[in-house]
Amino acid sequence: MRKTLSCLFTVGAFMAVAVTSSLRADDKVVKVGILHSLSGTMAISETSLRDVLLFAFDEINASGGVMGYKIEPDIVDGASNWPLFAEKAKQLLEEDKCAVVFGCWTSVSRKSVLPVFEKDNGMLFYPVQYEGEELSKNIFYTAEAVNQQATPAVDYLLDQGKKKFYLIGTDYVYPQTTNLILYKYLLLHGVPVENIGGGLRKDDSGKVISAGKYVPFGHTDFQQIVAEIKQFAASGDACVINTINGDSNVPFFKEVVAAGLTPSDCPVVSFSLAEDELRSMPTKDLVGELGCWTYFQSIKTPGNKAFLERWKSWLATESYPGVVKEKRAVDSPMVLSYDGVYLWKAAVEKAGSFDVDKVRAVLEAGGISFAGPGGTVTMQANHHVTKNVYIGETKADGQFKIIKTFDQVYGEPFLLKGLDDKLAAMSK
Amino acid sequence: MKHSRLLKSVALVLLGVLFAGHALAAPSIAPEESALRQKFIRTLLSTGAQQQALLGELADSGSKLVRDLLTSWTRGEIYLYQDPVTSTTVPLLLEDQQDANGKARGIRIDNGLYLTDASGKELRFTSDDLNTADTDMRLRSTIQQAFDMLSLADPDVDARQNAVIKLGYSQKLQYLPILQARLTKETNAGVKRALYEGIALLQLSTSDSSVRIGATQKLANLGSIGSLDTLRQLAANKTTDPAVARAATNAVEAIERHITWVNFFGTLFHSLSLGSILLVVALGLAITFGLMGIINMAHGEMIAVGAYTTYLVENIFGDGITLSPFGYSFTLPGLHASGWFYQSYFIFAIPLSFLTAALTGLALERSVIRFLYRRPLESLLATWGVSLILQQLFRRIFGANNVQVNSPTWLLGHFAVNDILFGYNRIFVIVFAVVIVFGTWLLLTKTPLGLFIRAVMQNRDMAACMGVRTNRVNMLTFAFGSGLAGLAGAFLSQIGNVGPSLGQSYIVDSFMTVVVGGVGNLAGTVYSALGIGTADETLQQLLGSPVMGKIIVLCAIILFLQWKPGGLFAARSRNLDN
Repeated sequence: MRKTLSCLFTVGAFMAVAVTSSLRADDKVVKVGILHSLSGTMAISETSLRDVLLFAFDEINASGGVMGYKIEPDIVDGASNWPLFAEKAKQLLEEDKCAVVFGCWTSVSRKSVLPVFEKDNGMLFYPVQYEGEELSKNIFYTAEAVNQQATPAVDYLLDQGKKKFYLIGTDYVYPQTTNLILYKYLLLHGVPVENIGGGLRKDDSGKVISAGKYVPFGHTDFQQIVAEIKQFAASGDACVINTINGDSNVPFFKEVVAAGLTPSDCPVVSFSLAEDELRSMPTKDLVGELGCWTYFQSIKTPGNKAFLERWKSWLATESYPGVVKEKRAVDSPMVLSYDGVYLWKAAVEKAGSFDVDKVRAVLEAGGISFAGPGGTVTMQANHHVTKNVYIGETKADGQFKIIKTFDQVYGEPFLLKGLDDKLAAMSK
Repeated sequence: MKHSRLLKSVALVLLGVLFAGHALAAPSIAPEESALRQKFIRTLLSTGAQQQALLGELADSGSKLVRDLLTSWTRGEIYLYQDPVTSTTVPLLLEDQQDANGKARGIRIDNGLYLTDASGKELRFTSDDLNTADTDMRLRSTIQQAFDMLSLADPDVDARQNAVIKLGYSQKLQYLPILQARLTKETNAGVKRALYEGIALLQLSTSDSSVRIGATQKLANLGSIGSLDTLRQLAANKTTDPAVARAATNAVEAIERHITWVNFFGTLFHSLSLGSILLVVALGLAITFGLMGIINMAHGEMIAVGAYTTYLVENIFGDGITLSPFGYSFTLPGLHASGWFYQSYFIFAIPLSFLTAALTGLALERSVIRFLYRRPLESLLATWGVSLILQQLFRRIFGANNVQVNSPTWLLGHFAVNDILFGYNRIFVIVFAVVIVFGTWLLLTKTPLGLFIRAVMQNRDMAACMGVRTNRVNMLTFAFGSGLAGLAGAFLSQIGNVGPSLGQSYIVDSFMTVVVGGVGNLAGTVYSALGIGTADETLQQLLGSPVMGKIIVLCAIILFLQWKPGGLFAARSRNLDN
């Protein structure tokens, strides 16, 4: 029985290969990997990135491909399982010989594939806001660095006369690092330590190693925390910096509303809530709260309008399995994935080769840029991207009203060291 | 809707215009109103200091029209139209009513009439065609202050109270005479208290030391948490008069004592509410697992059934909903309810949640569980399988994303007693828990069915011998337990997520509560829910870290179960098997 089955599989596999190869017999193709979680807890967010990548590939193939080569997507499922991400990365690089891989969402998945990409000299484009303090020669970070999301938001709030900042996040690497950077950033901008809420944790030598309040993943009871914020904000001019990830945001905001903390008294700026997440949030309760990203769907440029039109018509006609067609939103991680594909294409065409070393050399040389939906993005020598940063207010329909734009912000991954030095200089 | 009221007045004006003819339109607005409208437009189009000054003048007017216009402005509902002929900027509002192209008529702010072009034809716009008169946060806080001034005479007590406090925190001495004047007129005790606090806060910035010392004492007596920062700064500032600094230090200490008490009673209340949530969530399981002995892993999904029912009811009261499970699309029509009728959807959702969850439980009992009464360990596997199937079913019907459930307004908000916040939804859950525990107790002890249930659960075979239809009793008991889970889901939809994995986040808490309380004992579940709730909230308060609090509670429970494996109230039995 087992033998017949395996026979059948072999025959089936051969047939599949035969069919695909006959279809593409006269096309030159280049294999490009997509490494996202299509199942498990992260699937809700990451499938959107697969969809937008497929859209970008179709768009490029329709206009002649990359140097005449058609892109052939090689989709693997990381299944929200971090060790599996490393295995799948190995498969993409060693067996399928992908020229480039677009993928990962959580920092832990990126950290888990990083050694694989370095060993096999692969190339990964990473699109989701992250904590920085990392630079691999094999990874290009189209993502927002902390100075392209968190610190501009704080600049804006300081400019609006906010004096007290309450930091709250989920207990893992991104919120911890971001809040630590923000803590130092606020001190540097003259905010006294007692005006930074959420608590501090120090090591034995008295050095602050963690700032802010942290809750476990999936936390639902925010009574005590919101009561604390209410007392913190009682004197006015306070705001909350929220790096809570995922589901816990709903009970948090419901408690905030119940306690009567309104955006005009104490706005909450969230770094993990984009249009895609807002689809499943009670947005009526969130009107006026803030978000900060390098793209908002509501950007009113002709480039963005055209992009949204193309995306809509692609959704209506595409026939990939598993792509949801209704009630879709576009958000910053999706657009940064899309930008990444075009940055890579431009670099390949300039290098005249798919070879990772040659493409990297071109990308690092600077000047590779792309007019994306959120404005022009330019790759920097440090593998990060210069781009526009927008601050928006949540509206009842789950979109953002843009209230402030920072033009062409340089992406800087290493902030902690510089802040420490400046603080030390200041205390002298 | 202030906006719609404004529109109505505009409509009345327009009616007048229809009868009087176009030429007579302008006199239909009273001259003082016209002046206010002009002043508002000047404010809108000016910038910087001039704008701030004009806002102050608007605030002094005390006019309702100004308040409505300011509201529209902060909401971004005021648009700027560039007149192509005169190249002037005309601020306007867009009418709520849109035509087939999504375009609406513009209402001019200067005279309340529809905007027309040179030939008198009405112009129509979409909100994308026009630029809004933007406000940033700083401008809005000035507008807010103007608003607060206007609100000092608001008939609504809360609005008055908020306005007073905010003017106090502004630390601008110019408000002092205004608040003092208000104090002589005010009759409401709460607003009076706020006025004392606001006046004392403002007096802190005066130059007279004795007035400042009096103010610190006043603030200390009032237990004003919000003034803590100001007082601390005052105490720490080296240039402050030493006597004032001393008084400020004393006041800080007094207020900190006050905060300790607020936190103590606040934590008590939070404990009670968390305990009630645990109780509501676990009570169903106390029946299906505790009494019936089924290791019911699908309990969480019964909660989710209740929550999704609430979601459906909310949508049916609203605009209706289209679902497309397994490729078949069907639409549940909406009632398009509004006002109190819409707000009452939750009242209808509660019994319906009970019903749907009970029916799901009934089906589950008939199809799977009834074969497993003598095999508890296999019930674990079977119900776990059922829970996976149900989760996938939710994904198929409602999508993988969480769904939005809007809370009725009477569950949002809070009232404060002496700075301790009592959220309406939290009070609701406490009452809710008391009611369903009482109901369950009544059912189990005062009805014939309860007698049968207890008999069957103690000894199924003996009860059967005595002529009890154990089959039917099992079925009803399981359905009742599932229905209680559905009630929990209805409430949870008001404070958290509704999604396919809703049940997963509560299943551990539920088992924990039932096991700690002692399997087979409802009173034990009540005590354990309240105990775990109190421990959790107290540790959170003491440690300041929810992560550590949770870990310690779990460790404590493990140790407790080592000491008392049967839980708080172990069921005593002479059965040799136990």
